[in-house]
Amino acid sequence: MAASDIATSDTYKSAVRRWPITRLLEDERWLAFVLLLPTMVLLGLFIAYPFVKGVELSVTDAKVGVPGRFVGMQNFAALLDDSIFRVAVWNTIVYTAVTTVFKLALGLWLALLLNRNFKGKAFTRAFILLPFIIPTVLSTFAWKWMFDPTFSVINWTLFRLGLISTRINWLGDPSLALISVIIVNIWRGVPFYAISLLAGLQTINPELQDAAAIDGARPWQRFWYVTWPLLLPVTMVVVLFSVIQTFADFQLVYVLTGGGPANATQLFATYAYQVGVGTGLLSQGAAISLAMFPVLLVVVIVQLLYIRRVETL
Amino acid sequence: MIEGAKWRRWIFFYIPLSAFIFTLLFPFYWMLVTAVRPDSELYRPWSAPNYTPFWTAHPTLDHIRYLLQETLFSTWMLNTLFISIAATLISLFCGLLAGYALSRLKFRFAGMLGTAIFITYLVPQTLLFIPLADIIRNFRLGDSPWALILTYPTFLIPFCTWLLMGYFKAIPRELEECARIDGAARWQAMLYIIFPIAVPGILSAGIFAFTLSWNEFIYALVFLSSPEEKTVSVGVTSELIRGDVFYWGSLMAGALLGSIPVAFVYSFFVEYYVAGLTGAVKG
Amino acid sequence: MARISRRKLLKLSGGGAVVARTGGIASILALKQAPAFAQATTLHWLRWNDFVPASDTVLQKEIVPECEKALGVKLSIEMINGNDIQARTTSAIQSGSGPDIICALNNWPQLYPESVADVSDVADEIGKAQGGFYEESRVVANDGKKWIAVPWCVLGAQLAYRKSWLAEIGYEAPKFAQTWEEYREAGKKLKAKGRPFGQAVSHSFGDPPTYAYPYLWSWGGKEVEADGKTVVLNSKATVDSVNFAVGFWKDAYDEGGLAWDDSSNNRAFLAGTISSTLNGASIYLEAKRKPDVYLTENGTPLWQDILHAPLPKGADGQFGYHLPMSNMLMKYVKDPKPGKEFLRWITSKPVYQAWFDSQQGYSVGATTIWEKDKLWDKDPVMLPFRTAARAGRFPGYAGPADRHAAEVLSKYIIVDMTAKAIQGMPAQDAAKWAHEEVTRIHA
Repeated sequence: MAASDIATSDTYKSAVRRWPITRLLEDERWLAFVLLLPTMVLLGLFIAYPFVKGVELSVTDAKVGVPGRFVGMQNFAALLDDSIFRVAVWNTIVYTAVTTVFKLALGLWLALLLNRNFKGKAFTRAFILLPFIIPTVLSTFAWKWMFDPTFSVINWTLFRLGLISTRINWLGDPSLALISVIIVNIWRGVPFYAISLLAGLQTINPELQDAAAIDGARPWQRFWYVTWPLLLPVTMVVVLFSVIQTFADFQLVYVLTGGGPANATQLFATYAYQVGVGTGLLSQGAAISLAMFPVLLVVVIVQLLYIRRVETL
Repeated sequence: MIEGAKWRRWIFFYIPLSAFIFTLLFPFYWMLVTAVRPDSELYRPWSAPNYTPFWTAHPTLDHIRYLLQETLFSTWMLNTLFISIAATLISLFCGLLAGYALSRLKFRFAGMLGTAIFITYLVPQTLLFIPLADIIRNFRLGDSPWALILTYPTFLIPFCTWLLMGYFKAIPRELEECARIDGAARWQAMLYIIFPIAVPGILSAGIFAFTLSWNEFIYALVFLSSPEEKTVSVGVTSELIRGDVFYWGSLMAGALLGSIPVAFVYSFFVEYYVAGLTGAVKG
Repeated sequence: MARISRRKLLKLSGGGAVVARTGGIASILALKQAPAFAQATTLHWLRWNDFVPASDTVLQKEIVPECEKALGVKLSIEMINGNDIQARTTSAIQSGSGPDIICALNNWPQLYPESVADVSDVADEIGKAQGGFYEESRVVANDGKKWIAVPWCVLGAQLAYRKSWLAEIGYEAPKFAQTWEEYREAGKKLKAKGRPFGQAVSHSFGDPPTYAYPYLWSWGGKEVEADGKTVVLNSKATVDSVNFAVGFWKDAYDEGGLAWDDSSNNRAFLAGTISSTLNGASIYLEAKRKPDVYLTENGTPLWQDILHAPLPKGADGQFGYHLPMSNMLMKYVKDPKPGKEFLRWITSKPVYQAWFDSQQGYSVGATTIWEKDKLWDKDPVMLPFRTAARAGRFPGYAGPADRHAAEVLSKYIIVDMTAKAIQGMPAQDAAKWAHEEVTRIHA
């Protein structure tokens, strides 16, 4: 049937003519408007409006209970001077970069392993997700206990294996503290990467792999030239979301180290919280949070462009 | 399967897989042991000769009993369940409609709105919660679960929308057109034809939204104050850390109890979840 | 509940001589019926999780029902981690709703003077009735013109140490190291035996500041001059103190302390991994509470091996900073009267006594009469805590304990100065950094 016949078909016309509102909803634009309305209202009220207010806050000198006057870019200028802020920026970048690389590599490896048929496959896949499902705050407490300088089970194990002779100060040594936080983040994130990449792997037609094998390609080559390019769209999307979440991460560091020792694990979000809500310097806290936004935007735009390029391949 | 000798299978498959499983699940075993370990053993330093990290000779149910009887743990679980389900339903509803609109309808601002919704995902929570506190106060939602039920969708909707968009894009247009030829209105086609096909995607988005709500901390920390209203995350951390004493036993019991049910539900739906992501990816 | 005329109630319970001597609860009991507030009022009191759990039990099981009987007020007490109180206060003030009364620690009330109700009437009354407040308590709860909080208590901080271990290296009780140099020598010997000192140098509200500030003062360092504006932190005395602290740390301390929170030293001490630490009396009290759980390496109860001593002397004197706590009545509360009545009632001698007893000396009352209490006769090990609050100095020294001092404290600048140096920054740079941060806050 030709498309033009649709509009003229009697049944169609009669259905539409029944109520005026349905006629309205036939118009794509109106339907879209109605469908998008709840989302727009919620997001407008609870994100757009507070965002604007947050920006407003960052250009005043408001403190808790004190409305504050307009001071222009003073808060931001002060941040450039603030050594703790610089440390927080650096930490966040390192934290995000390192964890993403490891989560991707390990997640991919695990996905490849899970892609095979073995006994208890469904069971394993479900339980693998546990680190991701459990509320971050609670699992981080378990890690905190495992890292505790006096009671650490990790230290005990390493000690017994003869690998260390004095204890490792996981959370008290500044360089180790960041590593500890990174370890916990990787632990939490690998399952998400693994399951998502597994989903992607399952869309790849196994015949492609077989064809390559017949042509004489070794497993590694098969992966790199067949599997990986087909996996790239999923990978990029997963990485994108993961980067956004890791960049703004709060709970993990808050519970594990509180930003210490002496700001060695301070991130954007934890610093903003400490200054804004902890000390009550709302405007400065807002400025720090806002400073996160452009950096994140740049990272995201770069990734989006890359995704677009990959998708059109 | 890994071709070749059996030893290859061991090296390239069983050992790595076991290593992964061990590393990922050991902390849970640790939580379990700590939850049943008596106090006298809990505070033994690792350098002590009788430190037995991996088992305990005298398991006790005291911590679990304390958790369930002396704290409001069950209330917190119910609160979190209620909030998570409600927030998920709202987000799914909005995400479904929005995802459909953005992926299958042609209108002028489609691209821009899609990007705008995505951008909201980038706005950090630490920027929002002070202004949100004002809004919560104006709507008199302070200290009630509704403060969370209405604010959680702000980070759930963008993700649900995006996921479902991917799903919808994969569904051929012909299905809708056939339905409309048969006399259905546009919205009827959407509701009765397209949505049922997207059920795996909906389940997948729903599971994800549920997990993220269950997991949320900052907003719950800031907007709730009465002990009866708290969620599991906030309740456990604020009430089981009594000054000098982290009630490690009960803390770990709470951590376990707070997550095993969710894991159980997941184990039923993980196939849908995987299928859901697959569908989104195809599109 | 019969209604009593306001005038009659005020006559009996308003700041008269009767109340001054017998306290609020007596006057209320004299009425033989609960004062009538229009409806059953509820009060939400936010406090920290007490390091002495028995006191929280007293509050929940005794004070709450008493309050309902005596004042007709339904009291609900919320107890959270002390480190979270500031965040909760900020969000409560910003969202205009939350707890009615918040028990603030340190000089935090100075951060919220615009958001709290004027409680001068209650504070003046209590002060007069109980022999006056300690200077420390007054200074953090008063903004110079009016009372912004009613002082509640002061947590004494002393060095808790292992009697037998100190005796082994020559300090037979009651002898103890008198100067920092002596203390460091002792620490060196003890650390060599695997028994280092322990101290938290981190972002926790309790132990780190109560150590860092008196340490600085004892060397002669201070944040500002008496005018409250001239920042003089970066001085030779300060740099000397930081230099010493770095060497001291490596010689004598458990180096995990950079990651410790307020409970870590308790756990370490009770587990026998450290020999001495600055703390409230919670270690001793916990060991005493469970004598079979906490044992020495010889199997004897640990509590019998614990003694307390003040911080050692420095070149400029011997100081201590003891953590004051005060109750703020929030301004967003619609009707402040029940809150004020409650504060008056709970700080009055008969009611407070029950709580004070449960603390077993962990805290002293904010007023001086509690020094004379019978409790101090019970256990000589607790005696050093009795006069702890008379110490007299507070953060912000030598200027007033105002908002700037509270900000410096909340940002842990003094603590971080030492922490940074320990992690490798040269002492001069650390002092310079701290000086700049303090200047920025006072700007």
